[in-house]
Amino acid sequence: MKSLTPLQLEHFLAHLAERYELRVPILLPDGTRTIGSPDDGPLALLGGAVPGKPTAAFFPQQETIFTAIHGRLSQAPPPPKPLFILGFTATDLECLRFIDRFFADGIRDDLYFRLRQGAVVAGISGYCGAKGTLLPPAAGNCDLELFLAGDTWLVIPYSGTGTELAKELPNAATPEEAELFKCSIPTVPDGGETLLQAASALLCADRVPDSFWEELGERCIACTGCNLACPTCTCFGVQDWRSSTGVERSRTWDSCQLDGFMREASGHNPLGSEALRSRRRIHHKLAADPRKWGEISCFRCGRCDAACPTGIGMMAVAADLVARFG
Amino acid sequence: MYNRTETLDTPPCHSLYIPFDCQITAITELTPREKLFRLIRSDGTPLGHLPGQFIQLSLLGWGEAPLSIASSPTRAGYFELGVRRAGQLTTALHRMTVGDTVGVRGPFGRPFDLAALKGEDLLLISGGCGLAPLRSLIQYCEDRPEQFGRITILSGARSPADTLFKEELAQWEASARFACHLTVDTVTDSDCFTGNVGLITSLIPPLTPVPHRTTAVIIGPPVMYRAVIAELKSKGLGSDRIIVSLERQMRCGVGKCGHCTIEHLYCCQDGPVFRLDEIEQLRGAL
Repeated sequence: MKSLTPLQLEHFLAHLAERYELRVPILLPDGTRTIGSPDDGPLALLGGAVPGKPTAAFFPQQETIFTAIHGRLSQAPPPPKPLFILGFTATDLECLRFIDRFFADGIRDDLYFRLRQGAVVAGISGYCGAKGTLLPPAAGNCDLELFLAGDTWLVIPYSGTGTELAKELPNAATPEEAELFKCSIPTVPDGGETLLQAASALLCADRVPDSFWEELGERCIACTGCNLACPTCTCFGVQDWRSSTGVERSRTWDSCQLDGFMREASGHNPLGSEALRSRRRIHHKLAADPRKWGEISCFRCGRCDAACPTGIGMMAVAADLVARFG
Repeated sequence: MYNRTETLDTPPCHSLYIPFDCQITAITELTPREKLFRLIRSDGTPLGHLPGQFIQLSLLGWGEAPLSIASSPTRAGYFELGVRRAGQLTTALHRMTVGDTVGVRGPFGRPFDLAALKGEDLLLISGGCGLAPLRSLIQYCEDRPEQFGRITILSGARSPADTLFKEELAQWEASARFACHLTVDTVTDSDCFTGNVGLITSLIPPLTPVPHRTTAVIIGPPVMYRAVIAELKSKGLGSDRIIVSLERQMRCGVGKCGHCTIEHLYCCQDGPVFRLDEIEQLRGAL
């Protein structure tokens, strides 16, 4: 384990930029914190998880599949340098682990791994949460982790690449700093995890009546903010854009909360009501994915709860489910 | 409209989202709304499909659409798509002519389990456009008759004018290999139609399937499944002996886009062919 002063960290990142395409938490001119290029705004490590979908680094909101000029297809060349991404919290890293599984399963999604392959992922934790609160350490699921202890960033490597990078740093962490990090690692599931498991059990046992989904559907305004912010939402549409020079085919995030999400050419729509779409959003994460993947695919990052204007994000719905049917 | 050869710049790219070129070698008008397109891969290789699978058809400028393969791999050298004109892409496809090139990805999806069907009496039931994907299995049965027991085809259409593959249906009706029964929902005085009039379910009561050696295959509009399944169950067929092929709006064909999920299943990878007992308890499957 190594330690860095904030100034040393900036130098470290600048050094990494020679070998990697850097993505770090930055502050945009409009006040938004996001994971982006250091060229687009000052470093903004404090304040907790960024509000947007962090996995957009590997699964961008819009991504070109190919361009066709005079009928000849070409794909963009791979990035000249691999990505180095800093800013995933422990829950974000769980999300990333999950969608790594998803995109690798069966037929491997080459568009995703075009960016993901070779990327270095650095987690962020310690007393850098909102108003200086503790962000629990990930203790894995990444190449290395930066843990803020007082004015010092501890660097904890996990992978071979992380270890190699940490070797370049001069200062070892003190035993007290190492102990502080170790003591911060959660040892028991938090209340949110227990709540989701209880809600999942209710759904898997089919103990939630249709009237609940109808109520939820009444409250959903189909803004799609939940899906757009969720790090494990991976649904996308494919569309062609025509221009004077040719055609670009791209994929763009899609939302299961939109009425046309599953509408078929025949007009039949398996998700033909707000109630069914609201059920799908919750059921998919808490019941369908556990059956397919062996785990709930919500990792309690809280983004959908923060984004939802009508208060029906995942944790709010789970709490309601458990209170009424548990 | 963009109707150009979809070839790759070098070096060749193996992205799963890149279509390969296919040439239209024949077009048959099936009804005023449906055409049959015969295609060959431009590189001369076979598509490598099995009955029940689908492809993603790509037209530059229009995007992609999932289409069932309507011909059997035993008819070597080509594959066919029965396409209803329903949206922008299929309208663009209907305007194309022999010699034009389209893009194709696939074949995708779980096909019919031909090994499991071996030796079985088959009850092949289609409604409307469902005859197109079912035709891939019917043709396979025609070409490999020794593999199956008694084969009965039931096919329904909205009207005589909406009936697909009329000539082939007539051949199957005349063939000693098949028992083939047709029906239409409605007729008009001008139809000159002498066949059965009624829903597809009206063809089932006279049948006498042997439940322990009969497998039924159903492909048709969503509204048809429950009614046909109820009739088949009244004949003693269990859910493990009823097979359905489900339509969904797949956008990728490879289990990633999320548009075809049925609870924990992905229709494009786990289906589109399912045994009824795999999906009948899943919300929204039928």
